[in-house]
Amino acid sequence: MSDFLLEFVEITQTIGDGLFFGTTYALIGIGFSLIFGAMRKLNMTYAAASLAGAYVGLAAFTFVNAPAPVVFLISAFASGLVGGVVYITCFRFIPINNHLAALMASIGALFFIDEIVVHTTDGSPLTFPAMFDDVMFELGPYGIRGDLLFVFAVCIAGTVGLLYVLYRSRLGLATRAVSQQDVAAQLCGIDVHRTNAVTFMLAGLLGGIAGAMTAASVGVLSPLITVPLTVKGLIVSVIGGLGSIPGAIVAGLLVGGLENVFLYFRGVNERDMYVLLLLFVFLVFRPNGIFGSAIERD
Amino acid sequence: MLELRGLSKHFGGVKALDGLDLTVNEGDIFGLIGPNGSGKSTTINLICGVYGVTAGTVHFQGDLMNGKPPHQRLRAGIARTFQNIRLFPNLTVWQNLWVAQNSPRDVSAQGFMPRWFGATRRTREEIAGLLELADLGHKSDELASNLAFGEQRRLEFARAAAARPRLLLLDEPAAGMSRAEIDDLSLRIRRVRDSGVTILLVEHVMELVMGVTEQIVVLNFGHKIAFGTPGEVQRNKDVQAAYLGTSSSESQPLDGSV
Amino acid sequence: MSYYLGLTQLIGIHTLLGLSAYILMLTGQLSLGQAGFFAIGAYSAGILTVIFELPILPALLAGAFIAAFFAFFVGFPALRVKGLMLVVATIAFGEFVRLFFFNLSWRVPRGDIEVGPDSTNGFREIRYFVANGWSAWEITAFVWIFVILVMAVLWWTDRSRAGAVLRAVGEDELAAQSVGINLTAVKVAAMTAGGFIAGIGGALYAHTATYIDHLTFTVLLATFAISYPILGGLSSVFGTLVAVIFIQGVLVEGLRFLGDWRNIVFGLLIIAAMNLKPSGLFDPRTSQLLKRAVGLGGGE
Repeated sequence: MSDFLLEFVEITQTIGDGLFFGTTYALIGIGFSLIFGAMRKLNMTYAAASLAGAYVGLAAFTFVNAPAPVVFLISAFASGLVGGVVYITCFRFIPINNHLAALMASIGALFFIDEIVVHTTDGSPLTFPAMFDDVMFELGPYGIRGDLLFVFAVCIAGTVGLLYVLYRSRLGLATRAVSQQDVAAQLCGIDVHRTNAVTFMLAGLLGGIAGAMTAASVGVLSPLITVPLTVKGLIVSVIGGLGSIPGAIVAGLLVGGLENVFLYFRGVNERDMYVLLLLFVFLVFRPNGIFGSAIERD
Repeated sequence: MLELRGLSKHFGGVKALDGLDLTVNEGDIFGLIGPNGSGKSTTINLICGVYGVTAGTVHFQGDLMNGKPPHQRLRAGIARTFQNIRLFPNLTVWQNLWVAQNSPRDVSAQGFMPRWFGATRRTREEIAGLLELADLGHKSDELASNLAFGEQRRLEFARAAAARPRLLLLDEPAAGMSRAEIDDLSLRIRRVRDSGVTILLVEHVMELVMGVTEQIVVLNFGHKIAFGTPGEVQRNKDVQAAYLGTSSSESQPLDGSV
Repeated sequence: MSYYLGLTQLIGIHTLLGLSAYILMLTGQLSLGQAGFFAIGAYSAGILTVIFELPILPALLAGAFIAAFFAFFVGFPALRVKGLMLVVATIAFGEFVRLFFFNLSWRVPRGDIEVGPDSTNGFREIRYFVANGWSAWEITAFVWIFVILVMAVLWWTDRSRAGAVLRAVGEDELAAQSVGINLTAVKVAAMTAGGFIAGIGGALYAHTATYIDHLTFTVLLATFAISYPILGGLSSVFGTLVAVIFIQGVLVEGLRFLGDWRNIVFGLLIIAAMNLKPSGLFDPRTSQLLKRAVGLGGGE
C-alpha cells in the first residue's frame, strides 16, 4: 500500500473509533438536554454524578470482585440515585424561576462530588473492568476494537431505551408534558416535582452508563476527568441545540469523531483545545446549535 | 417624514405584517389602530429596528433605516414607549432620564468624560424640565419600581422625550388608564407635538385616538384596511366589521385579508 | 505574621477577581470565564518579569492590557449568546485558556538554569519580589494599592452616568437600546474592563505565589469569582470585598483544621445558601438583576 493509502486508512480508522466512543458523549449530552428540556435549567452536577455512579460500580469491582456487567449495572443505578439526590438538593426547593440559584447550587454539588472522589481515591486513576477488550474484528484493512464496539452497542441501547420510555410510556408522556407546559401539565393532575425527579433519575441512569463506558473504553477511571467531561457534555448539548435529543446524538458523534482527528494530528494535550474551538465556531455561526430553532419572535 | 413601503414581517408561517404602505408627515399626530394581533406592535418594532424586516423599506427623513440597530435609529430621531411599561426599575427616576439623554446633540456637544462621568448644568436643567413635564419633580430620587402605575407611564413618556426625538412612537399609552388620566395624556401628547415632535400613536382606547389624532390607518391581519380622518374611519364599513362595530353583525368578513 | 500578610494579599487578589465579575454582572452578563483572564494576566506578567526581566509595574500593566485585549475579543461573540448559553460559552473560554497554558512551554536559559513556563510542570521561579528584596509588608501594600485604586474607580463610576448606563443595560436590554444606548459598546466595554481587572489580579497573584500552573485557573476559581458578587450583592463594590473577607478570611481560615477537605465545605455552603435563601442572600435589586442575567438560555 502506498503511504497515502496507509494514512487514509489510519485516519478513517481513528474517526471510526471516535464515532464509537462519541456515543458516550452523546449520552452525556442527552442527559444535559433532558434536564434542560424539563426545567430550562443547567444541571452542572450531571457529569460529576455520572462519574460518581461509575465509582460506586468500581467499588463493587474492587471490594467484592463483581463481574463487569454487574459493575456497569451498579454504576447506572447508583448514578440514577445520585441524580435523584441532586434534584432534591439543588432543584426541588429552589423557586422555579430562580435560574441562578439552581445553577450555583448544582456547581456547588459538582465540587462537592469532585472533592469526595479526589479524596477517597487520592487523586489517582484506578483500573476499571472492561468487556471484550481482547477481541478484535478484522474488516479489510480496518480493525474494530471489541471493547469500543461494546461501548457503542451499550450506548445505542441506552439511547433507544430512553427514547422508548419518553415516547412509548405514560411516564415519558408526563415528562414531555411538563417540559412543554408545566402549568398546564399541573392542571392535568401531573405531579411536576415527581416527574422532574424521575427525569433526573432517568438522565442519571444514562449518565451512569456513559460514565461506566467512558471508563471501560480506556480501562481506567480517573478523578481528573470530572470537569473535562462536564465541559464536553455541555459542548455536545450546545452544539446539538440545548434541549434537543437528536441534536445531542448527532453532536456527540461529531465531537467524538473530530476529537480523534485532532488527536491524530495534534496529540492528546492539544486535542481538547480544538474541541472548544469547535464550540466557539458554533456559537458564532450557529448559536442555536444544529437542531435549534431559528424563529426569533419573543 | 416617515415612509413605510411594502413593509412585511413573517414569523415562520405567520404573516404578522404584509405589505404595509404608510406616510407620516411632519407635525402629524398619526393614529395606527386595529384589533389584537393585527400587526400594530410589529409595525412599531420594525420602525424601531427591534425586528429585521422580511421585506419592504423604512425611510425616516429621507434616510433608509433598514439594517440600522435600534440605538442608531433613536439617534436619528425616532423614540418610543412600550405597551407594557419598560422602565429601568432599580434606577431612580432621575437616573432613568439621565441614561436616556442620547440625542445627537448630547453625543457630539459634550466631551467623552463629561458625557459619561459627569452631569453638566445643562443636563441637570433638561432633566428638571422633563421631570416637570411628567409631574414627577417631587419623586426624582425614588426608584422607578416604587412609582404608581400612572407615574410609571408618565416617566416612560418623559424618558422617550429625553432623547429629543423628531418622531415619537407611542405603543398603547392609555392602556389601563382612567378617563381623567386619558384626558391628561391627550394634553401631554398635544403639548409634545406643539413643541415640534411628530407622533405616531398605536392605541386600543378609542377615546384617546378619536380625540387626539388627525389621521388614522387601520390594520387587520397585517393589512391596511382603511385610511382617513377619525370621522371617515369611524364611518368605514370594513373598519366597523373588523374592529369598532360589534353591532354591524351583517357585515361580511374583510375582503382580501387572511 | 507573614502568614496573615499572605492571607491579606490573597484577599486583595480575590477581591480584584470578584470585581472583574461584578462589573460584568452589572450589565447582566454572568461569566464563568474570569479565571481565564486571571490566567492570562498571571502568565503574561510572569513572562515579562522572568523572561524579559521587566520591572513589576510595567509588567503588571502589560499583563492587565493583554487580558483586556482578549476580553475585548471575547466580548463580541459573547454578545450573541445570553443567559445560560453565555455561562457555557465562558466556561469553555476559561477551559480553553487553561489548556493553552497547559501546553505552553517557553524556556530560556538564565545562568545555569532554564526559566519560563514549562507546560505541565508549571511556571516556577517568578521571583521578582524576592530578587528585589521586597518585604512581605511592602508586597501587601503593593497589592492593596491596586485593590483600592480599582475599587475607587468602580465606586466612582457607579455614581456617574456610565454606571447608570451599565445598570440600565443589565435591567432591560431592549429598553436600553430604545433610549439610544449602544448595547454592543456597553457590553464589550464591561467585558474589557472585567478582563483588565482580572488581569491585574492575575499578575499580582503570579508574583505573590511565585509558582503558577494550569490547575490554579480552573472552573473552581471562576466559581469563586462569581460567588463573591453574588454573596455580596451588586449594590456596591464593598459587598464584594465583604464577601471575599468572609469566604477567604473567615470561612477558609476557620475551616483550616479540615485541611484539604475545605473545598467540600465550600460546595456544601453554596448548596445550603441557595436552598435556604435563593434570592435573599442579596438585596432585592441584586436578585432581580441576577435573575435576568441567567434567565432563559438559548441563543435568541
